[in-house]
This record gives sequence, structure tokens and C-alpha cells, in this order.
Amino acid sequence: MTAVLLDGVVLGLQFGLLGVGLTLVYGLGGVLNLAHGQVAVLGAIVIARSMDAGMSTGVSIVFGLVAVGLLGLIVDLTLMRPVYRLRGESRVLLGLLLMLGVGTLIDGVLEWRYPIEALTLRVTGDPVSILGVRMSYGSIVASAIALVVGVALFAFLRFSTFGRATRSVIQDEEGARLCGVNPAVVRSTIFVMSGVLAGVVVITRSMTAPITVTSGFGLTIMALIVAVVGGLGSVSGAFVAGILLGVVNTVSAYTIGSYATTIILLTAAAVTIVLRPSGLFGDRT
Amino acid sequence: MSGIGDAADRNTDGVVAGAERTFRSLGRDLVPIGAVAVLLALLPIQFHDSRSMMTVIITGLLFMAYAVAFNVIFGSTVQLFLCVGALAGIGGFSAAILSERGGIPMLVCIVIGGVLAGLVGGLLSWIAVSRSLDVIFTGVVTLAFSLSFQSIILGRRDLTGGETGIVVEAGSDTVLGGKVGAYYVLLGVVVAYLVLFRLIQRSHVGWAFRALRNDEVAAELAGVDVTRYRVYAALVGSTMLGVAGSVFAFHRGFIGPSTYAFADVDVHVLVMLVFGGIGSLLAPVLGAVVFTILDEILISFAQLRVVLYGAVIIILFLGFRRGVIPTLESAYSRWRHRGEGA
Repeated sequence: MTAVLLDGVVLGLQFGLLGVGLTLVYGLGGVLNLAHGQVAVLGAIVIARSMDAGMSTGVSIVFGLVAVGLLGLIVDLTLMRPVYRLRGESRVLLGLLLMLGVGTLIDGVLEWRYPIEALTLRVTGDPVSILGVRMSYGSIVASAIALVVGVALFAFLRFSTFGRATRSVIQDEEGARLCGVNPAVVRSTIFVMSGVLAGVVVITRSMTAPITVTSGFGLTIMALIVAVVGGLGSVSGAFVAGILLGVVNTVSAYTIGSYATTIILLTAAAVTIVLRPSGLFGDRT
Repeated sequence: MSGIGDAADRNTDGVVAGAERTFRSLGRDLVPIGAVAVLLALLPIQFHDSRSMMTVIITGLLFMAYAVAFNVIFGSTVQLFLCVGALAGIGGFSAAILSERGGIPMLVCIVIGGVLAGLVGGLLSWIAVSRSLDVIFTGVVTLAFSLSFQSIILGRRDLTGGETGIVVEAGSDTVLGGKVGAYYVLLGVVVAYLVLFRLIQRSHVGWAFRALRNDEVAAELAGVDVTRYRVYAALVGSTMLGVAGSVFAFHRGFIGPSTYAFADVDVHVLVMLVFGGIGSLLAPVLGAVVFTILDEILISFAQLRVVLYGAVIIILFLGFRRGVIPTLESAYSRWRHRGEGA
């Protein structure tokens, strides 16, 4: 059982990173990025293609992260402009539907051009023993990366000037503008960061399981569930919810079965929305 | 979203007049539906000996029916129901299971399928409205419902057949068994839905819909019970989805998890409706016709279809949010007014 719990934490850290990317973009501009997982998979495919072309793993990873970051920037500067001009409910609706289109487009292009491409990163090393459980080296590395990125992100948002500016826009866009913060710059940067975070997630995921071209929708849904349970817009909430849901996921998959697990996770999101729309923890970072 | 209901508002001035005039204006209102019905009824004359073409136009009609129903829910009261396929699937699967396992007559199954879908849709709407969820949370909750439904279909193998699906035999020796028969039955369903949509638009319920869509707070202040009308719209629309889904199940003779999947139904219905113009009476007709033709042209590039749908969604929402029909109508009325002024 300890092994199952630890696996849950490993998975949960990645869920957390996935959710953070989605939650930041929503918190800032009200755009629910329904293409989050597809962007991540695009990054994975860029990495896999680069490695096929004979580049070293490190260079390929840089390539992949730059690609998703760039994609985020392009989407923000083009498609999201008209969205940010709107206010309130119509902004939310347009943003959601446009990103649904982007996700469908990426899915279609990937399945059309590279139907059998998949990313598997092999991290070789001896299994490490934690709490008496032998964990594969891959999951240890994946968790370490997720943890470091998560902590770095948290520190960045909490202590850097740009992080403060970001949080001020999340809290009150007009107020931040009055204090000299340019919401457009903050939003673009965060959109890029969200893409890169998605890229990091597929890198760590691919150390334990292959990322295929059809993984995108599932990743988007997972990010959505995590972000919603943690409270849309809350960074710490997304991380805690990620770990919680990761544990719930592995425990329930281990004891009940995978279909029931999907339903449990989806229900968790729906119930959170209905009972506590601000998320389980309710605080705003 | 701007311009959602412009088209609907134009035909309402006749409602308050005398009975005779109301009757005449009702007739005038139903003319476009009649024209659509006649045009669509002519299609099988062209295609009746091609099984594959009949399948294509039957699927087109099914999506038309879905889109009218979605138009009632989303177009009339802006509830983003991302569970069109799941609601149709509730109708389809419950009708199929009742008929196969329970031996219940087909028509009864279709009615039960519709009622069940209606109840579930109404319940979802009631939850969303009573917790005053905004459009995004309504979308997420209904999406979660959609995917859970999909998991249940896959998981409850004993009832639904899991990935292999279930064979539905009851429809094979009825009018739904043949392609042409099924086409006309579905056409009847679509026409009935369109008439119902028009009648709702003309009634006081339609006024309430427009009021709450234009400004929810103002509508509430003016005494429109927003909760009640939203739930009404969801009930009616979901019942329509359930009936269409179960009629199709009896025609196809086989349903599986992909028959009503989110990716295969919801995205298409959304694109069709937005293309025609959300909230406008004939938008589902135009959208379904255009995208059925497009699908047929792209049939040899099957993988390109997903790319195309993605691109179309982006282009539509970016530059063409009002849809084709409202744009044409306002162009026409501008042109006519200029004529009168001269």
C-alpha cells in the first residue's frame, strides 16, 4: 500500500504542474485553456522528432520547450487579443471556445502528420529505496524535476517583482493597471510559462509512461480537474489538489478499477464546482 | 455573445395583434420551415439507390436534430451544455437496453429515452442555475458529466456491451429499418423540432428567453423567473436530444461508445450551430447541410477533417461570431430599408 501511495504522490506532482499551467492562465485572463494538454503533446512530439533526427536528448528537450513556449506566445498575441478586449462572461466564453478550436486543430494536425509518434524518455539508473519501497529511477527523477519546478515557480510568484505583478493582475486587473503593471505583458509571459510548464509535464510523464499523439485530450481534462478542485486561479491549490488527486487516482485504480477512477476524478471536479466553486482550499495565490 | 438573438426578434411584432393576424403571422413564420422540409424531402429521390449516400444524409439529419436541440439550450438561454452527445446517448442506450433486455415496444422505448434524457438535462441545469454557476463552470460540470457517461458506457460491460457496443434489433423490421424510411422519420423529427423551436420563440417563454439572454439581471428585475426558464429550456432541449438519439439507435441497429462520444458529437454540433448563427431558427439546418457536404468532400482525407474542424472553430469565433444567417438577414434588411427610404 505504501508503494501505491508513493506512486500516487509521483503522479500527483505531475498533475499539480499540469494544473498550475491551466490555473495561472485562467486566473490572469479568464481564458480556460482547453488546449493545454494538446500543447503539451505537441511539445512531446517535437522532442521525439528531434531525437529521431539524431539530436541529443538535452538539445531535443530545449527544442521542445522553446517550441511550446513560442506557440503560447503566438496564441496569446494573435488569437487571444480579441478575447481580452471583451469583458465578463463573453470573454470567458470566447476564450474557452477558441482554445477548444486550437486543441482540436493541434490534435488533428498531430494525428494527421505523425499518427504513430510517441515520446518515451529512458532514464537509466538503479531503483531507489524510499520508505522500504523500491521506486524506479525514472519516477524519482520525474518527481524531483516536478518538485524543483514547482518550488521555483512558487518562489518566483511569491517573491519576485514580476510574480507580485502577476498576482496583482489575478486579484484586480484594473487596480494593477493603475499601479503601473501592464496586464498584457504579464499575460503573455504567463501564457508562455504555462506552455513551458506543460512541456515539463510531458517530459516527466514520458519517463514513466509513453506520451502518444492521442494523449492530449486526456491531459487537458486532467489539468482541468486539478485546477478546478484546487480552485481556478490558485497556484498552491493546484499543487495540493494535484497530489491529492494523484493519490486518489492510484489508490482507486489499485482497489476499484480504471473506469471507476475516471468517474471519481470527474465527480470530484463537478462536486467541487457545485459545493465550493472557489476550490477546496479557497485561498487565492 | 453579441447578436445571438437579433434574428429572432424580428418576427415578434405580430404576436400582440388580433387572432387572425397572429394566425397569418404564424403561417408566415412556418413558411421557411416548410420550404426546408420540402427541399430536404426531395433528397432521397436523388440518392435512394446509394446506400452510402443515404447514410451520409441520414447522419446529416441526425446532427441537424441535435443542433436544433442544442439551439434551445445554448442558443436560447446561454447554458453551455458540453454534453449533447451524452444526453443523446442516455436516450439511445436506455432505449436500446430496454428494448433488447426488457422487450418493451420500440415507441415506448423512444419515449422513455427522451424522458430520461430530459430529466437528466433538467437536473444538470437545475444544479447549475440554483448554484448560480457561470458559463465556464456549467461547461466544466457538463463536460465532466459527458466523460463520466462515456466511462460508464465502457465500464458497465454487462449492460452496454463496453467497447463492442450493443446490437439493437427492434428497429430492423419497422419503417426505421430501411434507409429511405429512416430518412423520412428523422426528417419528421427535425421538422417537428423546428416548429417547436419557432413556437417557443413566439410564445411568452420566448420573450423570457430573449430577456434573460440580453440582460439576466434586468430580466430578473422585470419579473422573469430566470431559474425556471433556464431549466425549462434544458428539459425541452435534452428531451429532444434523447428522442433523436434513440430514434437513431433503432435505425442504425448498433450503438457503441463512439456513437455519442464528446469528440464525435459535441464539437460538430457546436461548429454547425455557430456557423449558421447561434439562436437563429434555421442555423442548425444550414450548418448541418454545409458540414455534411464538406465532410463528404473530405471523405478521402479523413484525417484532415479534425484539422478542418479545429480551423473552422477558430475562424468562426474570431471573425464571424454572429453566424451566416443573422449576417445575411441584417444585410437584407439594410438593403430593403434603403430601398424604402429612396
